[in-house]
Amino acid sequence: MQDQHSPQPESGDSALDPSIWRGLTQRRMSRRQMLAATGTGAGALGVSAFLAACGVKGASVGSHSVKAGGVGSASWWAKQKLHHTVNFANWPYYIDVLSGKHPTLEHFTNLTGIQVNYTEPISDNLPFYAKIRPSLQAQQYTGYDIIVMTNNSPPLGYLINYGWLTPLDQGAMVNFHKYASPLVTNTSWDPGNKYTMAWQSGWTAIGYNSSIIKDPGSSVDILFDRRYSGKVGMMADPQELGSLGLLAIGVEPATSTESDWAKAAKKLQTQKSDGIVRAYYDQDYINHLKNGDTVVSQAWSGDIFQADLNSKYRDLHLLIPEEGGMFWTDNMCIPAYAQNPKDAMTLMDYYYLPEVQAVVEYYNDYVCPVPKAQGVLLHPTGWAEQTLKAMHPSIGLPYSTTAHALTVFPNAQYKANSRNYYKYKSQEELTAWNNLFLPITQGA
Amino acid sequence: MTHSEGVAPPGGATRRRRAPLGKALAPYLLSLPAGLWLLALFLVPMVVMLSLSLQSCNFGTGACVMTWHFGEFWQQVSLYHSQFLVSIYFAGAATIIDLVVSFPIAYWIAFYGGSKKNFFLLMLLVPFFVSFVIRTIVWEFILSDQGIVLGTLKSAHLVPQNFHVLATGYAVVAGLAYNYLPFTALPLYVAIERIDKTVLDAAYDLYASKREAFTRVILPLTIPGLFAAFLLTFIPALGDYVNQQILGGTSDTMIGTVIQNAFLTNLDYAGGSALSAVLLAIALVGIFAYARLLGSRTIEEYL
Repeated sequence: MQDQHSPQPESGDSALDPSIWRGLTQRRMSRRQMLAATGTGAGALGVSAFLAACGVKGASVGSHSVKAGGVGSASWWAKQKLHHTVNFANWPYYIDVLSGKHPTLEHFTNLTGIQVNYTEPISDNLPFYAKIRPSLQAQQYTGYDIIVMTNNSPPLGYLINYGWLTPLDQGAMVNFHKYASPLVTNTSWDPGNKYTMAWQSGWTAIGYNSSIIKDPGSSVDILFDRRYSGKVGMMADPQELGSLGLLAIGVEPATSTESDWAKAAKKLQTQKSDGIVRAYYDQDYINHLKNGDTVVSQAWSGDIFQADLNSKYRDLHLLIPEEGGMFWTDNMCIPAYAQNPKDAMTLMDYYYLPEVQAVVEYYNDYVCPVPKAQGVLLHPTGWAEQTLKAMHPSIGLPYSTTAHALTVFPNAQYKANSRNYYKYKSQEELTAWNNLFLPITQGA
Repeated sequence: MTHSEGVAPPGGATRRRRAPLGKALAPYLLSLPAGLWLLALFLVPMVVMLSLSLQSCNFGTGACVMTWHFGEFWQQVSLYHSQFLVSIYFAGAATIIDLVVSFPIAYWIAFYGGSKKNFFLLMLLVPFFVSFVIRTIVWEFILSDQGIVLGTLKSAHLVPQNFHVLATGYAVVAGLAYNYLPFTALPLYVAIERIDKTVLDAAYDLYASKREAFTRVILPLTIPGLFAAFLLTFIPALGDYVNQQILGGTSDTMIGTVIQNAFLTNLDYAGGSALSAVLLAIALVGIFAYARLLGSRTIEEYL
């Protein structure tokens, strides 16, 4: 769900704006939808029927548990061997790039001899989950040893609850235990980091155009300001929309109740019927903010930072309101029945080396799970220095800009303003939430 | 329909002889591949969809249990009837625009295209070699509030500063009309192209004016093509969920988007299936109405 991609170098008016790539790779245009859209007239009818067939197939499989054999136990891990290959599924534009290659992955292969098949099939949590679920139900390898799932969307909880993740080898998390930020250790969604290690985090906050909005204030109220009627962008994702609504009525999303949700929905409904909202956007919200179609919008922290790399969009700023910015984390995890778990553990722990995160962050600009990477960015040495130097022309920023970015290495105030998403306790709760917030985005 | 139908064989009585078995089976054997195709890729999924709409599903596991919950249909329709109406209205408007725009194009190519007919047809189709979604996104860029078109008009003070095209129902209708144009133009072209040009001469010989020749000769002969074009455009446009999401605003959601969200955002397979079934029913009503009005024979001639 997050807009996980990072600066395709946005040099001036290059022929293809990264937003186009984003458009091509993000949810709105997954391959499946594209096929349906271009199909000769089948349209929505066809895709619905296709999906329905999948649903019924899933129904024939029932139980799901990987307890047998002590998978994930210390003795099980001791028996695992390296296979010198690992299949890593991530979101698009979410890892360092240099001349079409990924320096941190190449470095990893040089160090360990493990080949990485890095793919970017995840453009949204739920559809990706729906794709791997049949394999997991059939107790088969999904084809991936590492997947990256966001904590604010239901699938991560499903995977943990149904025993569809391999418990991590705590003994192999050397770098993690040494360098990981408190923001991503012992988290509310995975106490003790039993199943997950963060890849990156970020905020869902507010992006605004400072050439038009001189006094943004410090509150989410700016999204409800009549002065910007018809120029306000909101997110279509019910999680993001609902959480913002809760912040706006002064309720902590994480500890909210169903009656709060109803009040938040009412507030958002009024915002819409008053004509304040221009539209409910997916990942394309950032294009509209850049184009000037919207002047203030719900936004993901990394996107605003990346937009600012282009001098055309310097006016875009991020506001983490005093009511709080929603803090999310994308988590690496090992699906059950993975064939190369030991290789996966090695890779995941490798990404907690400060010099590796420094390179990732120089490209990515999301919240770094390794605070020490800041020091590397300020004073790089050895491999990191060479790599950063090679990447510099295409990124065009001093390393210190990344090192001092509060959205990459947050200060105490940013951390204090971070809020957690509500964690659904049951399917009924999720349905109740969606039934309140989805209709707002689907008005007619 | 321009062939010899209606010309009774002399003597009236049928003079068919009993065919050998192989010959009798031939039509069935020949239609077998198409039949299997329909069975496997249309009927089976449709039955699955209908059955799914009556089940209750677990979001996490995807496990569904048949509960014969017929209330699902009523519930979904009462929740989303306005999105159905918007879809019918938008798809209808887009189709009518397409018919009005395509008719002169098809007419011109068919009557004046000469030896370059195929070239002109290709010209008509070339833009559509680019994927649907990408073309729509490009419109999003072109029509943005400060974009090349509106930005220029605004700086020339020809339109008010707060004028916008995106995020309105008009943009969605325009997008639909643009994207489905070939589905209208091609059947129309086929219909017009097969008109025997000498009937026009005959009309003029009988002192028809140009307008009369058009309204009383050309137009009636193209009516089956017009209806085929209408269906081919209207039905896919009805289920479209791309244009509204890219070009639309807050109060013009089409049912295709709702179905997509039911499946992908909500993992509500039962609700999504019920909505799809209703949409399918609406499309079928259109086709049956067509068959009643013009006879089922004409459908296959123009599709």
